[in-house]
Parts: sequence; structure tokens; C-alpha cells
Amino acid sequence: METLETLYRAPTERSPLLEFDFANRRLRIEGESYPEDAAAFFGPVIQALDAFLATDSTQPPALLVELRMSYFNSSSAKALMNIFQRLERAAGAGRGVRIRWHYHVEDDTMQEFGEDFSEDFEHAVFELCEFDDD
Amino acid sequence: MSIATEYFAFHRQLQERGVVFSFAGYLSEGILFSLGEALKQKMSLEDADSRVIKRVFSIFVEQVQNIIRYSAERVEGNLGKPVELSSGMVVVGRERDRFFVVCGNMVCRDEAAELQRRLEQLASMDKDSLKSYYRERLRAPVEDDSRGGNIGLIEIARRSTDPIEFGFVEVTEDRSFFCLKAYI
Repeated sequence: METLETLYRAPTERSPLLEFDFANRRLRIEGESYPEDAAAFFGPVIQALDAFLATDSTQPPALLVELRMSYFNSSSAKALMNIFQRLERAAGAGRGVRIRWHYHVEDDTMQEFGEDFSEDFEHAVFELCEFDDD
Repeated sequence: MSIATEYFAFHRQLQERGVVFSFAGYLSEGILFSLGEALKQKMSLEDADSRVIKRVFSIFVEQVQNIIRYSAERVEGNLGKPVELSSGMVVVGRERDRFFVVCGNMVCRDEAAELQRRLEQLASMDKDSLKSYYRERLRAPVEDDSRGGNIGLIEIARRSTDPIEFGFVEVTEDRSFFCLKAYI
């Protein structure tokens, strides 16, 4: 299996933290997202995800995806959907995929988006995780 | 009339309309970010409900990005790095007990008819229909002619607490002025 490097983008004021930790099979996206060009911003994650899902082994590693968004614009929603469709396809093909959608207890917009996205998953596990102020 | 009188009258006109801030001219992503920050800070300092701030901000972002992507008045070039500027106006204000966000920009006349048809459709939809329409468009493949996935307008209609209002004015043979108002 080819070695894939961890993908890391520090959060900025208008783009979220991105971390794809291949060794621990975990993808994290956290924060606010309204970058200038959402398709370009999320492009590397989608490429990394495709590379990860294409890894060929007798026991394909499962993947945990942790999302903790506080705001995203419509172009970012489109990019997230693009990621989710890949995850569901991979799960449908037998890959273990678990997605945890974290939202603040008072953030009804992010809760509603989570509930909405959850309806798209049949094979992948999608969990809604409410959190309070730390 | 002194310039102070002249500009004070202009300033007062904005205040009388409840304008919190307005911007007219060439917009960039950098201006979107700065205005958006000031908007959130101003509303937070006034103890606005965090859900209202989020709605206003979300509508503001989609409206300004629509101007940046779709305004018919654009300049672009290279100043060491690629620069794109789009002309339009954005106004955030308060009337009675609600906030409003208005955007305005020039569009090509031939695009205006299609835009009007889409906005009429959105304005007639209730919250549940808007939600399912947003879901449907989010799952559709990105249209070739759209840089923004075309769901920005649905997001605006969805976050607006009252039906969106919009209009067009024919300006020249091939240009119309378009504006869209959302309420929170």
C-alpha cells in the first residue's frame, strides 16, 4: 500500500481546519467555511479521499469523519455534499465509514443541516453529536 | 450648498431608511470578508440574538458572492496576481423590528428573464418547499454555467424570515438593474 501523507490546513478566519490523518484513518473538518473559491479549497480533500478510498488491501481500513462546523456558505455546502456522496458510495461498496456531525446545542441551523445530511446515508453510519460550551 | 450640507443630507437619508451600513462600488472577496466581520461585530455589540446574527450574515455572504460572480459590470486583470472586481451595492439596515439585507447589481437583459423566473418561484415557496428544493439542488451535479452552484439564491430565500422581494429596471438595450431584498 502506498504511503499517503497527512493533509493538514490550519483554520483561517474564513476557512475551516482540514486534517486527513491517514495513519489513524480520520478526516476532520472544523470551523467556518466561506472561502473565495470553495471548490478549489476542498479540492485537495476530495483528491486525498479518492486516494484513500482507492487503497487496495485485503482488509480496507475503515474511516472516521468528524465534522464540527459553525457556518458554511452554499458553495461549501456543495463541496461537503460532494465528499458525502463519495463516502456513501464507498460504504455501499463495503468500506466501513462513520461520520460524526458535531453541532452546538444552541445552533439550530447546524442541527438542521446535520439532520438533512443524515437522510443521504444508507450504508455509512451518520451520527448527530450535540455539544455544549466546553 | 456646502459639501457638508450635501453629504449630511445624503447621510441622513441613509439613516432615515434605517441603514446600518451600505457599500456601493467595486466589490472583492476581501471587502466581503471585512464588511462581514464589521457586521457581525456591530450586531454582537448590540446584543442581537446569535441566531439573527447568523441569518443576517449568511444572507449577506450569499448576496455579495452573487454580485461578485454574476454582476454584469466587472473588471479583471493582473496586478502581480489575478484581480477581479465586480460592481454592485449591498445595504444592511433595520426597519421596525426586523433587519433587511438588499443587494443590487447590473445584469444582462437576456439573463434577467431567467433570474426573474427563478426568484418568482423561490418567493412563492414556503419554508418546507425551500428546504426540499435546497436539498434537491445540493445533490444535483454542478451546472456548467454556474460558478456558485446556483443554490445561493435558495439559501437567501430560506434564511429570510419573510418572503424575499426583488425587482428589475431596464437601463440600456442590453442591461437591467436587479435588486433583491431579504428580511430577518
